[in-house]
Amino acid sequence: MAFHNKIRQFFFPSFTPKFLIRVCLVALFAYLFFGYLCIPFTIQGMSMEPTYHNGGINFCWRVRYFFSEPKRYDVVTVRFAGNKVMLLKRVVAQEDELVEFRDGKLFIDGREMEEPYIRLPCDWNLPPRRVEKDCVYVVGDNRSMPIENHHFGQTSKNRIMGVPLW
Amino acid sequence: MVKIKYLLIGVPIVIIGILAFFYFFPNEEKKVKKQFNLLSEWVSKSPEENAFTMLQKMKNIGTLFDERCQLKAPSQSLSGSYTREEISTYAGSARSHLSQLDLKFYDFHILFPEKEIAKVTLTGRLIGRSSTGEQVDETHELECALKKIENKWHFSQIEVVEVLKK
Repeated sequence: MAFHNKIRQFFFPSFTPKFLIRVCLVALFAYLFFGYLCIPFTIQGMSMEPTYHNGGINFCWRVRYFFSEPKRYDVVTVRFAGNKVMLLKRVVAQEDELVEFRDGKLFIDGREMEEPYIRLPCDWNLPPRRVEKDCVYVVGDNRSMPIENHHFGQTSKNRIMGVPLW
Repeated sequence: MVKIKYLLIGVPIVIIGILAFFYFFPNEEKKVKKQFNLLSEWVSKSPEENAFTMLQKMKNIGTLFDERCQLKAPSQSLSGSYTREEISTYAGSARSHLSQLDLKFYDFHILFPEKEIAKVTLTGRLIGRSSTGEQVDETHELECALKKIENKWHFSQIEVVEVLKK
């Protein structure tokens, strides 16, 4: 009988002041956690195929860069004016490095880079350019599309919001 | 216990009262946002749109702008000062190439550096389908300036911020 009461109390709790305070605290915590620290998002587009698929659901974990800087090969979210719309890209070069694409191969400071996450054919050519101070160079994993149609390039570190949780 | 009960009833009533006040008495920020909502409504296009609606929308778009408006969008080869009529014509021509168009704005940051001037930073996302069936998906961070003329806010400057620099 006591067990049944506990179940009933769990699903149909009495609206006591204590319960209402608890509900308010949970709501406040959820608002702060999912609004500022672990932001849910839906992936729209194919630019990170085959690592991330169109329509996938994920969370942007902001805590990752609270005490560290984005590193090469990190998948990051890049913000526009806020966090309602973000880009999902991979960091391929850091500040002061020279980025270049030759026949679809990535070169950093003239050295060809290993990119095991690239599975689709790529024929991009991009003349070398140096990444400016406090910036990183980000590119999507799907480079099968023409270079003109792919959104990539140098962005300020301030625009990096976090990393996808998985 | 009685005091907590009063508090639990009183606090939500005060919050609802404050929210109702802001909802029913629009402030300048809301008026500025309204102009963006109108721009979004008039730029957007459904596949069933008829010629009369199209002409009406084109005419309406012009009314949202100042006599002359500065446009800075190097990626769209659009740079300089344009009249209302020129903007209406440009918008009409761009819309005619698309069978479906949906313009949405997110993450508004509104500042009033002077009494009659508003500076807005936001994200604009344009999703559509061209007449040939090609998918269009463009997202940009925008910096806009609006002037208040005869109690109405008009766009006087729109600049596309470069988030990714190839």
